[in-house]
Amino acid sequence: MNDRPLPAAESYTNTDDDWLEAALLADGREHRAQYLDDAGFTARVIAALPAPLALPAWRRPALMLLWALAGLGIALALPGAVVDVAYDVMHVVAGQHVSLSGIGAAVVALAVAAWAAAAFALRDD
Amino acid sequence: MAESPLADAELIARVVVRDDRHAFSELVRRHQSAVRTTLRRLTGGNHALADDLAQETFMLAYRNLGSFRQEAKFSTWLYRIATNAYLAEARKRKEELLGDRDSGVADDESGDAPDDDAGGPDPERAASLSMDMQRAMEVLSDAERAAIVQCYHNDLSHEEAAQVLDCPVGTVKTHILRAKQKMKARLAAWARD
Repeated sequence: MNDRPLPAAESYTNTDDDWLEAALLADGREHRAQYLDDAGFTARVIAALPAPLALPAWRRPALMLLWALAGLGIALALPGAVVDVAYDVMHVVAGQHVSLSGIGAAVVALAVAAWAAAAFALRDD
Repeated sequence: MAESPLADAELIARVVVRDDRHAFSELVRRHQSAVRTTLRRLTGGNHALADDLAQETFMLAYRNLGSFRQEAKFSTWLYRIATNAYLAEARKRKEELLGDRDSGVADDESGDAPDDDAGGPDPERAASLSMDMQRAMEVLSDAERAAIVQCYHNDLSHEEAAQVLDCPVGTVKTHILRAKQKMKARLAAWARD
């Protein structure tokens, strides 16, 4: 056994048992010194693992199509709302003093948001 | 410059998060020897059965790696799975194993005594004692043998062995005490020597 504290180890070790304790410890050391060559064992284990879960190739385009259809469906279901929101946004924007740097910042922010959304949608499962 | 080997924890994370088979094969390669030698001890030197159980151990480890909380060492966790696999197999084969063991013990009755001219710690004598120790372990119950293997061969503390064997520390100590009493009787000739 190892050298860590074994509170009751002495309870079953007495002088009469010393030879057996020594023999067990020696046997343990011999056991730990033994190294078994892999000899193809690892390859057998890996070959026996279940096949990786392969997603069908059509899954990603089908998902994108479904999202596009859902977006289109919402837009068609709420035509007035979309136009109203677009009109109000244009109205608010037109009422603001917009600088060239402001437009640039908005474009960059929109691009980052679009890139993040695309990365999220196309992420690995 | 050669890359330093990844720690077990990093390999485990790769397997759990990305199902990285390469990382899992590295884990198997690292621990296969310890698991297989332990199972060889537990099965009384049945190498084929030990390797089958070792393969089952790693398959179970792969399936349950997500539940490994890293509270114990990975090797200790593997010993636990291996020991459970052995005990389940032993229960399944109880009758068959007991039959084999009884006949083995009967055949070995005359082989316990060391040679009369055996003197100091020479290799031949040590090898003879080692073989007799292995035979003596065959008279132990499955639980007693498992306790001896975990504490003496795998160098686990009583607390770690209790985790592996899924029993209280006191039970481990009782198993070891009884195992040593049986082995002492079986190896009496070595004590007289």
